[in-house]
Amino acid sequence: MKIAVCLKLVPATTAEIRVAADGASLALAGVETIISPYDEYALEAALKLREANPGSTIQAITAGNDDALKCLQHAFSVGADSGLHIKSASLDARAAAKAVAAALATDKPDLVLCGRQAIDDDQWLFPGALAEALDFAHVTAVSALAQSADKSGFQCRRRIEGGELVIDAKLPAVITCDKGLNEPRAPTLKGRLDAKKKQPVVKTPADLGVSDADLAPALDVTKYAPPPQKTPGKIISSPAKEAAAELVRLLRDEAKVV
Amino acid sequence: MSNILVIAEHANGAVKKTAFELLTVARALAAQSGGEVHAAAFGPGGGGAAAELAAYGAQRVFMAEAGLDPYASLSWTRAIAAAAGESKPAIILFSAGSLARDIAGRVATRLDGALASDCVAIASSGGKIELTRPVYAGRARVSAGFAGGAVLVATLRPNAFSIDKPAAPGTGAVSALNVAAVPEDLRAVVVEVAKAQSTRPDLTEAAIVVSGGRSLGSAEKFKLIYDLADALGAAPGASRAAVDAGYAPYSMQVGQTGKTVNPALYIACGISGAIQHLAGMRTSKYIVAINKDANAPIFKMADYGIVGDLFEVLPALTDEFRRVLKS
Repeated sequence: MKIAVCLKLVPATTAEIRVAADGASLALAGVETIISPYDEYALEAALKLREANPGSTIQAITAGNDDALKCLQHAFSVGADSGLHIKSASLDARAAAKAVAAALATDKPDLVLCGRQAIDDDQWLFPGALAEALDFAHVTAVSALAQSADKSGFQCRRRIEGGELVIDAKLPAVITCDKGLNEPRAPTLKGRLDAKKKQPVVKTPADLGVSDADLAPALDVTKYAPPPQKTPGKIISSPAKEAAAELVRLLRDEAKVV
Repeated sequence: MSNILVIAEHANGAVKKTAFELLTVARALAAQSGGEVHAAAFGPGGGGAAAELAAYGAQRVFMAEAGLDPYASLSWTRAIAAAAGESKPAIILFSAGSLARDIAGRVATRLDGALASDCVAIASSGGKIELTRPVYAGRARVSAGFAGGAVLVATLRPNAFSIDKPAAPGTGAVSALNVAAVPEDLRAVVVEVAKAQSTRPDLTEAAIVVSGGRSLGSAEKFKLIYDLADALGAAPGASRAAVDAGYAPYSMQVGQTGKTVNPALYIACGISGAIQHLAGMRTSKYIVAINKDANAPIFKMADYGIVGDLFEVLPALTDEFRRVLKS
């Protein structure tokens, strides 16, 4: 099975996200970066599938500036067979999907694994856009994955409002990964050393036949702002019974929310 | 054309609350752009939704049943693209739930348009659409414009927009679309829907959420959360620490690595208010915090707070709500 795994470098979940002085961008220089956590489940899923299907290959793909190479270094250190860096100053999800589709078009994998969402843009766009461009089936936010008996597809489980879906998917497909799918492994020392010997292939979008027009941002950003701040409200310090009565009264009469 | 096409979710004809939010937004956008409001009610029983969708302003309602049950991402994408072919919308609106997360991006790509997910504001001005959406798990908000000739697919955060019924209903003219199942659309198809065994509302759809933190101390003590939630008809939630400790299932987790909720009222019990938890509930209209630590960060975000012992305050609150809501 030929597997491609898409990895995105994003600011760490604990990083401070500050609005730049111009109000039209974010001040992210120097902020700690990580592989988008849902992408880690995708990489681990690829590794498990290769173990279960000997002869399979894993290509790790990332797009962005040279910082993104961190994703491929990690992928190599846990055993990815090859890596592709689509080198570009910045690509929104729509442009990244076009570039990756172009990279995979001539020699399509059987399976593309991604995280369900990138934790920076939170768009939930890249996987569906990639699947559409490749004319692959897709399954979103899979929390359990089992190969079909004949290996032509997968049975997937997906958590939704009020329950869970079981989905049968045929390859070729894009499958996006959710928390709980697996526990991503840490690289071994040997893995880290081996990674230093592996070189990714580097291509620009132009190398892949993607035009500047294709790369233009889909939305025209006008400003960034911090989230709306709440002003601290009323604190009740009475004994439990009185406090409860007071709170219920406030919620009914003042907030009118019960 | 400046029509707005609403993807109206329903359960066998019973229209979901989010569809009314979308139609209210659609009417405002259509008024600004001079277009019509259209709705798509796909899947079994969609015809039964037409009257209600018209009541909230839909001039046209697109229906399609055959081939859309069981759900398959590709057949629904095709049906929505077919509706867009008829409706010729400038904007397609979804509610930002699991349907949108599955296919809004694919629909946008098929129509060569753009996607803006989880919008908290959207308006049309001088032929340009302006929207605001949270990014970085809500640690920032970005405002952006869209003036392209192609369609904008926008998914709207549930509970972030109010519902308003127009004085006069829309025409609600029903068009049945012929989108018969095509074999390649069934490459990924739902084979089983496992419904949660609960009469409680879903976390992401509930108007009131009562969440418990690790201070509850055990899965058994989480009964205090469930009792309060049930007294309010609320959904119970939990912090990551409580879930990691095994006191509540992952399906209840609210926060950066759990669910994002946007209820009218969020009651945080024994939750300190770590950034990762706030990421999942900070847009709640009203936040109540109950914690014995007066310095817990959550009090800075709370509209109302009780500093006290959970094990006394929660039962007292449950009793008081039961008493007051009975009448």
